[in-house]
Amino acid sequence: MRRRWFFLGALFFCFWGLWVLEANPVELIPNQGGQKAAADFVLSALHPAFDYEDSELQGGEISFFSKVLHALWTTVKYALVAMSLALVIGLIGGVLGSRAWWSESRFSLEVLRIGVRLIATAARSVHELLWAILFLAAFGTSPLVAVLAMSLSYGGTLAKVFSELFDEADGSAAEVIRATGGSGLVAFFAGIMTRSLPDLATYALYRLECAIRSSAVLGFVGIPTMGYEIKTAFEDGHYREIWTYVYVLLIVVVFFEWWGSRIRSLLSKGVTSPLSEEKDQSLTDLWKGRGRSTFLRASLVLIFLGMIAGWVTEDHWGAGVKWEQRVKNLERFGEELVPYSVREAHGDWSQLTPWIESKMSGEGAEAVWRTFHLGTSSILLAGAVSLVVILASARTLASRAPRGIRLGRGFLREAFGMFFRGSAMLARAMPEYILAFLLLQVFGPTIWVLIFALAIHNGGILVRLGAEVVDNTSSQASEVILSQGGSRASAFWSALLPASFNRLILFLFYRWESCIREATVLGMLGVSSLGFLISNAKTAFYYDEMILWVLLGAALVFVGDVSSDLVRGRLRR
Amino acid sequence: MMLDFQSVTLRYGGIVALSELDLKIEQGEQVCLIGPSGAGKSSFLGLCNGRIQATNGKVILHDRDFGQTRGKELTRLRSQIAWIPQDLGLITNLRVNQNVACGRAGQKGFWKLLMSLLWMGRGEQQVVSQLLERVGIAEKIFARVDHLSGGQQQRVAIARALYQEPRVILADEPVSAVDPERARSLVELLTTVAREEAITLVMSLHDRHLAQRFFDRVIGLRDGKVVFDGAPNDERVQELYRLD
Repeated sequence: MRRRWFFLGALFFCFWGLWVLEANPVELIPNQGGQKAAADFVLSALHPAFDYEDSELQGGEISFFSKVLHALWTTVKYALVAMSLALVIGLIGGVLGSRAWWSESRFSLEVLRIGVRLIATAARSVHELLWAILFLAAFGTSPLVAVLAMSLSYGGTLAKVFSELFDEADGSAAEVIRATGGSGLVAFFAGIMTRSLPDLATYALYRLECAIRSSAVLGFVGIPTMGYEIKTAFEDGHYREIWTYVYVLLIVVVFFEWWGSRIRSLLSKGVTSPLSEEKDQSLTDLWKGRGRSTFLRASLVLIFLGMIAGWVTEDHWGAGVKWEQRVKNLERFGEELVPYSVREAHGDWSQLTPWIESKMSGEGAEAVWRTFHLGTSSILLAGAVSLVVILASARTLASRAPRGIRLGRGFLREAFGMFFRGSAMLARAMPEYILAFLLLQVFGPTIWVLIFALAIHNGGILVRLGAEVVDNTSSQASEVILSQGGSRASAFWSALLPASFNRLILFLFYRWESCIREATVLGMLGVSSLGFLISNAKTAFYYDEMILWVLLGAALVFVGDVSSDLVRGRLRR
Repeated sequence: MMLDFQSVTLRYGGIVALSELDLKIEQGEQVCLIGPSGAGKSSFLGLCNGRIQATNGKVILHDRDFGQTRGKELTRLRSQIAWIPQDLGLITNLRVNQNVACGRAGQKGFWKLLMSLLWMGRGEQQVVSQLLERVGIAEKIFARVDHLSGGQQQRVAIARALYQEPRVILADEPVSAVDPERARSLVELLTTVAREEAITLVMSLHDRHLAQRFFDRVIGLRDGKVVFDGAPNDERVQELYRLD
């Protein structure tokens, strides 16, 4: 009954959102001129460029191949540097934001914990692209500023997740250490931190993968990463070059996903020592033969070296802008942050409220409303599609012997399963912003582009998480259905889905929060929502308006974040 | 006198967990606490190392009242008492030697423990190896704890307790999750080692046969009260588990 109400509610919210967003399916058909451009763009995906499309550049000093590699290294480099800072922020914030290191409960520690958590949530509530825009406006163009923006947003996310991991870690070892004379710090370090290490590394590796996507997107605000090359190639009309960059980015993100999953698996399972079963071995032999993974060690060293290389190989962190110029920029930015009406009234702050009211009643409230529905409708659409795809892609269903019950032929099932898993991997590897940018070239400026971009990327993530849940759900009912001649679909809809429903909804809310966050920036591509207002204010140098829209977006994400946490907390219980 | 309970009462809100306890445990004694679930065995052990404070009365260890001891003095006192909880409290994703090293967390402090965990010196490895030899799993010294069986993990917890060089070992139903044969061998191991080292052992058990076989003294608890305290062949031991 509850599930039925949930589905009905989701359906209602999805269509209500589409109605608010005025998403008319007719808009999906481009006009005649548009059709040709769209066809050219789509067809060029089949012929990615291996050299410059501009013949004048061919055979020049820098080959196209070198240019792609350089953009790729810059993208990965900025991601690594941002993550190195974010990890420091995340670890400090994660410890201070948790209760796990306390020896005893104190009011001052509780105030500190709540304060740190609020700062972390505020930092992550503003999308990294918006932090970058704000910082670039304040300090002037510089890769360092963009990297700092990214690390702030990611640091906030890491701090929040790390503190939750510390608080949820099994505290029995820490309790033993405390009870046998260890201090709170020692008990936390040895009993909690070491125990949480695989989870911390797992999440940090996932964020590194996200950071590569974000780093690519930063190119759209002038930082020379993959996004920048994609944008300039589009402006030059070099569609085939766009696809080359897109494919290279996809390959790298997929590679990092594979790498991360191998490291995760090794960290959580460890490597068994072949010698530990043999008696009478010397200590030296046991040490030499201990279970260890060269792959794991090499990977961690490589990531660490990559971070150092990222810092030292960048020659233009400051982009050649002098310090005095940056201070001037900051002063000007600070002055223009003051609302226009307050400035006009010679610093009379009583003008602030009417100014906010006028902005909100004009376009602000509508933009917030549209952004909320954009995020909500997109995730519901993604959820609906992923439910069907999970059935086709879960390994325990898409096989000749689903749930261990042999059903005869199933080659096509397995092939489809692989196809859907591969498609989901590509869908989540593609950053929403770049996906929306590409779809924009096909469908033109319609809200559908943003909905599809969000739904495709998040659908890819939901399919993976959902398929894992279904695969790990033990359900004898599904086996009975299959052994009595029922289809895979019957086993899924009537046994597996009800058994894993709560966890699937948990993931839906987790991604809803991310969708809202992403929805605040997608409008910058020219489709009406908060991002559109931010982009317009930025172009017109109306920094007072820009900060108002950014803060509104942050407030929306904050509300989404808190309500998603509440719902997920209830579902877990 | 090693451990001295003087009119100890422990309440959780309105519930009385232990009531008017008066008993003494001498240095080197092997004491087994038995009683049905909810009798107060874990609370009793919690009072023994000051994890739980008595609501009334005093718990005295080496002439020090746990209720009045704070700071470094409390740390020093606790570092003489090893504790093996029911779930063993091991760091399962670390190696056996690293877990054993945690036995001296209270004595080492942060930096020395960090060094032991990251890069354990040869000397310390030797000491840990000898301890593991004693508990019968020397070849597992560099194995990850989550790669060991339940019985082997219990031996790691015993080695960690011994590495602490304690004067008291508190063990809270440490064999509740293993088969009877393993349980017997682990209790035998703990009591033998404690006897050899003159360590006071206070262990709670569900199985009265194990208590009767391996301990000199059995304390029977029921509804937070000491029902009997004496030799293991006391007839009242059998009656303790009878249904009301």
